Amino acid sequence: MKITVRLFGRYKDITGKDQIKLDISAGNTLRDVVDTFVKQYPATEKDKSRMMVSKNKMYASFDTTIIESDEITLSPPVVSGG
Amino acid sequence: MTEDRYRRQTIVKEFGQKGQEMLAKKHVIVIGGGGLGSNSANLLVRMGIGSIDIVDNDTLDITNLHRTSLFTQEDLGKSKAFVLQEKLRTINTEVRVRGINQKVTKENIESLVKNADVIVDGTDSMSLRFIINEVSIKYNIPWVYAGVYETVGMVMGILPKKTPCLQCISQNIPESTSGEIPVLGSLPAIIASIQCTETIKLLLGKPLAGLLIYDVWNQCFDTMGIKRNLHCTICGIKKL
Repeated sequence: MKITVRLFGRYKDITGKDQIKLDISAGNTLRDVVDTFVKQYPATEKDKSRMMVSKNKMYASFDTTIIESDEITLSPPVVSGG
Repeated sequence: MTEDRYRRQTIVKEFGQKGQEMLAKKHVIVIGGGGLGSNSANLLVRMGIGSIDIVDNDTLDITNLHRTSLFTQEDLGKSKAFVLQEKLRTINTEVRVRGINQKVTKENIESLVKNADVIVDGTDSMSLRFIINEVSIKYNIPWVYAGVYETVGMVMGILPKKTPCLQCISQNIPESTSGEIPVLGSLPAIIASIQCTETIKLLLGKPLAGLLIYDVWNQCFDTMGIKRNLHCTICGIKKL
């Protein structure tokens, strides 16, 4: 399935786009979206386990299932420094 | 209230004289007096908050100076909370400023925040942020999360049971990693400025912006409109 993903923060710089289409051929979860994104853009690898992923404007766990029409966003992990 | 002091601010239509008068009646607590907390406290005092507590049990060291504005080399080794109290009182004598040299814990947080209209996050600990989040929801006290890392900062105002809480957005966030957190010196002042503005909007009952992400190196600013997680274990109405 082809998923449209909106990007935030430095992911826009890494990809040069604010929205991309990902071909999620294996699986139907947000984890598959993250895996596919990281594979295509290895510069995001260090964020892989902590990436913030939302589905239809709600942050969701990696195990959440998706369908083609879902609105998916990826943003860098919440930052902790003060 | 000295009218001249805020004249340039009260003519801002979004804020106005009414906003100034409301602000003068509000109390905030800033938890953490480092890069974010000191800069946010500085702005809130200059803008005319009624009263402010700054809680931090750390002393100032040389690694704090690159990202803070009020501290000087002469302050090294002194309590951050007390130095801020002393300096902020000289900036605006109309504001009641209190520095509290204390570690914030799950045990004492309720007594510290109970009179606050808003809690301002200046900590560098994710575990403490989750404690703030929990007490905020429990006592219906809004708070403003802010964090910085390398060149990226994030801010989110949280209005309990109305907007997403930290837990709503944090399902994949691990505890803070140990070791020094890298932060570009120019970042905290900007993020604190955004945090201060969201704090004032909360105090004046204005709508919040959502989750704000700013990358100071790439000059890239994003606002994410997000929804509450109705199954959130802290603020959800359909808790799992």
